[in-house]
Amino acid sequence: MTVTLELNGRRISADVSPSDTLKTTLKHLGVISVRDGCDGEGSCGLCAVILDGKLVNSCLVPAPQADGARVITLEHFSKDRKLGIVQRALVDASCVQCGYCTPAVVLAIHDLLERTKDPSADEVRDALSGTMCRCTGYEQFFAAVRIAAKRIADPDYTERLAPEFRPELRHVGKDREKIDAAALARGEKAFVEDRVERDACHLKMLGSPYAHAWIKSIDVELARAAPGVVAVLTYENCPDLVYTTAGQGFPEPSPHDQRMFSRKLRHVGDRVCAVLAESPEEAEAALALVKVEYEPLAPVLSIAEAKAEGAPVIHSGEVRYVVGEPPEGSSTKGDGRDDPIIYQFPLHADPHRNLAASAAAGIGDVEKGFAEADVVIERTYRGNRVQSTPLEPHVVYARIDGGRLILHASTQVPWHVRRVVSRVLGIAENKVRVVKERVGGGFGAKQDIVVEDVAGYLAWTTGRPVYFRYSREEEFIASRTRHAMEITVKLGAKRDGRLTAILMRLDADTGPYGQHCLTVPMNAISKSLPLLLCDNARFEVKSYYTNLSPAGAYQGYGAPKGSFALQTALAELASELGIDQLEMIEKNRVRSGARIEILRSLGEGREGQAVTLGECGLGEMIARGKKAFRWNEPKPESGDPDWKIGRGAVIIQQGSGLPGLDAANAEARLLADGTVILLSGGADLGTGLDTVTAKAVAETLGLDMEDVAVLSGDTDVTPFDKGAYASSGTFFSGNAALLAAQDLRRKIIAIASSVLGEPESNLSIVHRGLVKGRHGEISLAKLGHMATQGEGHGELSGQGSFKTDHAAFPYGAHFVEVAVNERTGEVKVRRYHAYQDCGTPINPALAKGQIFGGCLKAIGHSLYEELVYDEEGRCLNPRFLDYKVPSIYEVPEDFVVELVPVADEVGPFGGKSVSEISVNGAAPAIAIAIHDAVGAWCREWPFTPERVLRAMGRL
Amino acid sequence: MKFKEYLRPASIDEALAGKSLHADSAFLAGGTYILSDPGLSARRARATAEGGREVVAIDISRIVPRTVERRGRELFVGAGATFQDLLDAQAVITSVVDAAKSMANRNIRNRATVGGNIAARKSCASLIPILLVLGSRVEIAARPGEGLVSEPLSVWLDRPKGLIVDVIIPLETGRRSAFRRWGRTACDISILTAAVSYRLEGGAMRELRIAAGGLGPRARLFPEIERLFEGKPLPRRADAEAAIAPLLSPVDDLRGSAAFKRLRGAGLIADALAGAVEEP
Repeated sequence: MTVTLELNGRRISADVSPSDTLKTTLKHLGVISVRDGCDGEGSCGLCAVILDGKLVNSCLVPAPQADGARVITLEHFSKDRKLGIVQRALVDASCVQCGYCTPAVVLAIHDLLERTKDPSADEVRDALSGTMCRCTGYEQFFAAVRIAAKRIADPDYTERLAPEFRPELRHVGKDREKIDAAALARGEKAFVEDRVERDACHLKMLGSPYAHAWIKSIDVELARAAPGVVAVLTYENCPDLVYTTAGQGFPEPSPHDQRMFSRKLRHVGDRVCAVLAESPEEAEAALALVKVEYEPLAPVLSIAEAKAEGAPVIHSGEVRYVVGEPPEGSSTKGDGRDDPIIYQFPLHADPHRNLAASAAAGIGDVEKGFAEADVVIERTYRGNRVQSTPLEPHVVYARIDGGRLILHASTQVPWHVRRVVSRVLGIAENKVRVVKERVGGGFGAKQDIVVEDVAGYLAWTTGRPVYFRYSREEEFIASRTRHAMEITVKLGAKRDGRLTAILMRLDADTGPYGQHCLTVPMNAISKSLPLLLCDNARFEVKSYYTNLSPAGAYQGYGAPKGSFALQTALAELASELGIDQLEMIEKNRVRSGARIEILRSLGEGREGQAVTLGECGLGEMIARGKKAFRWNEPKPESGDPDWKIGRGAVIIQQGSGLPGLDAANAEARLLADGTVILLSGGADLGTGLDTVTAKAVAETLGLDMEDVAVLSGDTDVTPFDKGAYASSGTFFSGNAALLAAQDLRRKIIAIASSVLGEPESNLSIVHRGLVKGRHGEISLAKLGHMATQGEGHGELSGQGSFKTDHAAFPYGAHFVEVAVNERTGEVKVRRYHAYQDCGTPINPALAKGQIFGGCLKAIGHSLYEELVYDEEGRCLNPRFLDYKVPSIYEVPEDFVVELVPVADEVGPFGGKSVSEISVNGAAPAIAIAIHDAVGAWCREWPFTPERVLRAMGRL
Repeated sequence: MKFKEYLRPASIDEALAGKSLHADSAFLAGGTYILSDPGLSARRARATAEGGREVVAIDISRIVPRTVERRGRELFVGAGATFQDLLDAQAVITSVVDAAKSMANRNIRNRATVGGNIAARKSCASLIPILLVLGSRVEIAARPGEGLVSEPLSVWLDRPKGLIVDVIIPLETGRRSAFRRWGRTACDISILTAAVSYRLEGGAMRELRIAAGGLGPRARLFPEIERLFEGKPLPRRADAEAAIAPLLSPVDDLRGSAAFKRLRGAGLIADALAGAVEEP
């Protein structure tokens, strides 16, 4: 049937089928800005449009109903590449991070400002209540609305949203527009889905209905003959090798234990069969024709089940070691049926007992420490699986061009993708190009090669372009989750609160495959234990295979769970001793000049060594939090007898990349007009990394921000970078850009010296792009132009390569005030203050936005989020209807981020990492505050009303 | 749900004719309920994904009224009124506003209709409990050419028929009412709902009505709880909770255990009893 509608002022007709929605119709009409994060469930709001004056989700509007309607999309506000008032306000308020939700936010705010000129905070919440955002924590949207509303009356209105740092620098420490923000706010083509051509084939995956099973037989003949089918792939015809999907540096600290398709199925949703077809419908229809006979096996659904004597064995193939010997007593002989498990080096594993990896070490003598203690406590803390829910799911577009494989990827690790995919395909790395597009949320889940291997293989073997995009359900069950963990903490202390011994025993559930199986749980130790100074400390980490959803990287890595266990245990001990919990932290925390001995045993893939800390900002951060929360005064009253108020505070840390293991490179080229193109290997996943690297160049070469263009994360064009993980962006990729700019500066000065006839020592580069000597001067434009002339010098280009042995720890102190309803168990976070040291904040308001986002995600994990499985290992809540992520209504009323900088001696301009650390505070701080309010310790997150009531003994 | 055909009738009679012509058909106005179930993907279980039913959609959005207005001591709500229409109307009393606000978020409230919320008969329906305790009636078109029939909402919910055209909410002088709900987050579906209404005469609750959702397959009136308190003074909240809890028999599911829902459901009803107010 034909519908005619007015789209952004233009009358158009479209042929629709009865089941089409307005969303699919708009997509067919070529509207780019209508996104999708929930597959038409109507819960994310990213497909919002204004339909006859109302903000609605276009996925919930039947296309035929739109006949005769007026439809407005973001494109309406993006005429002539100018930004409208709302778009400009969002950019100015640093609200554009990954940009995937930005079109929907623009429409929601326009709709609000149509209704009211001076919206209250409640009206802002109501307006954005239907729009999900995982990056920003929503807080800065309030400022964006305020700015937009004021500019309607006063177009020149501005306000400063963050303090400035480093007055001697032009750009660093000042707010500058995120360099991709305007394009994202205009809804321009930027994401993988925007690159898909009309002739693309669609890949759909049949998943295992069982958590643990063998495929007895699989018959794909009908599917192969079905209309539109291009290829069918199963364990019978896929490449015969095992690899790890973990996007880590090679050799990876993750076992190679996964085939593209295996006869053995290890989780519900595990790959059984892929169909590539001309259309998604034909691919789905063909999948229905695949006949599979399964031999179900008893599943392993918990850590306890995994380690039980006689537990079902999840990986029963031969265990091999590339380097080193198997641990003594471990089993290596395979059953002759299952795929091999290849460790690049020993991880103290015993896969046939479901032990994927383990580690244990320490300093001093914990038994002696416990013997010396006046009080000893031992507590176990549990953290369940959470998923990062990037609103753009895993997606890739693979195509062949010039005999090479091109992968348009939404990835954090372009070079690891290239390495793994070329190896899996059995082709040279120079046959593969990975182009990182804008990433619609990564959060760690896109550190793994989840879709690129199979899409790349099918594109390479069929020659057809392949589009593979996960559904939201697939994102939950077959992407990556944070490992579930059980952490037992034993602490001994003197009566005055000084710790005498710390023992952390950690069991992790790595799921069906071993990606990140050791490093995530180790990170729970390495980012929590060094916060406390204690002569006797020990950890024991074990990581088990189970048949639940795959685990992997997620912002914070293991740290949020280690932090929850250790910081809460410390507060429990304080409570036993009758000491204020902050005083307990104060007595034991790391401080300026302290020697951190425990780092000897926490080498992260290399020999560990003790570190003498330089300046540590924790004292100042704690002091600020105590003042803001009037820590030494009585708590405020709630005004309602049901609601009790409680406070909690924690200290947190993270790292800045992996010293000694990783490297980053960049190249800065001077063009003939004096502008610069920076080729950065860094993978900006919406975090603003490209803006950080652009700043490093502009600052160094005396340029304005618009004089620097950044091309990043393209394995053909830009030099190698390890990727965006382990909080490495600013520190590694930022430093590489800085080194490239400095190298270019050196070359510019050298050439200018000969042109001007002045010694190099007389020359400096001043704003804007001018080399100044004592007598003469020459512009970068002139020097750049000379490079293009027959008689000139060669092209001016600077290279930067960064590696380091230096570990730069960002620290933070998070303070929280909650209200707990004694009758219902509900917890409301009334106040959340994050004081964080990211070294020099390179772009303060963007840094704050990153922290707001991290904190709200962590509040979500602490209070609402958890994947739930039935007794057969099926995930019961693989959708937003029942996996609850915070909306703007869950944002604390008093939500504050303060940057307390302590410049790092190695970081670019003293910068350190900023975002990842911010997820480490909420769980322990809220648990401590709940105890402060109602006297009950919640030791399992999320702290749902039901768990709070149980902890209180009311259920 | 997938549509094999999409009808846009021009009148209510035409809509009814379409319904009787197509055995497998569904009325649709806002579409939020019918369209929002993405079903299971191939990634989990092919067998269940094959069950996707195809129906004939009968779009009634243009033919059912969406007016919200006060008519004397009655509030007249067109079945096509959206939740946002209900919130934007001046005439609506607080307890109904509270119930309407509990519907998801603004994007959804701009689409979801009053009629659809009733007709879906879900246990978590935002409006059914408050409409029941206010003694609402529905006007329905049952057969072409026969005009509208009026019957109590409680009767219609037990035996749904025809097409709901309007809802009439009596606004009795002296009747107090309140709505309470619990969801995991602010914009969550309502896991548990409770609504009450009564007159307070000489310190005693008279003509008490209590309805709740999330405690069984459908939202419904709970006469067994009403009997506990009818004619008695407003109980202390803790006493009410203790008396109500044993009468609730929710089931365990991933949204909460039976024990939790019992305690929380009783709490909501007790809160609603204590918080009921009368509005002019």
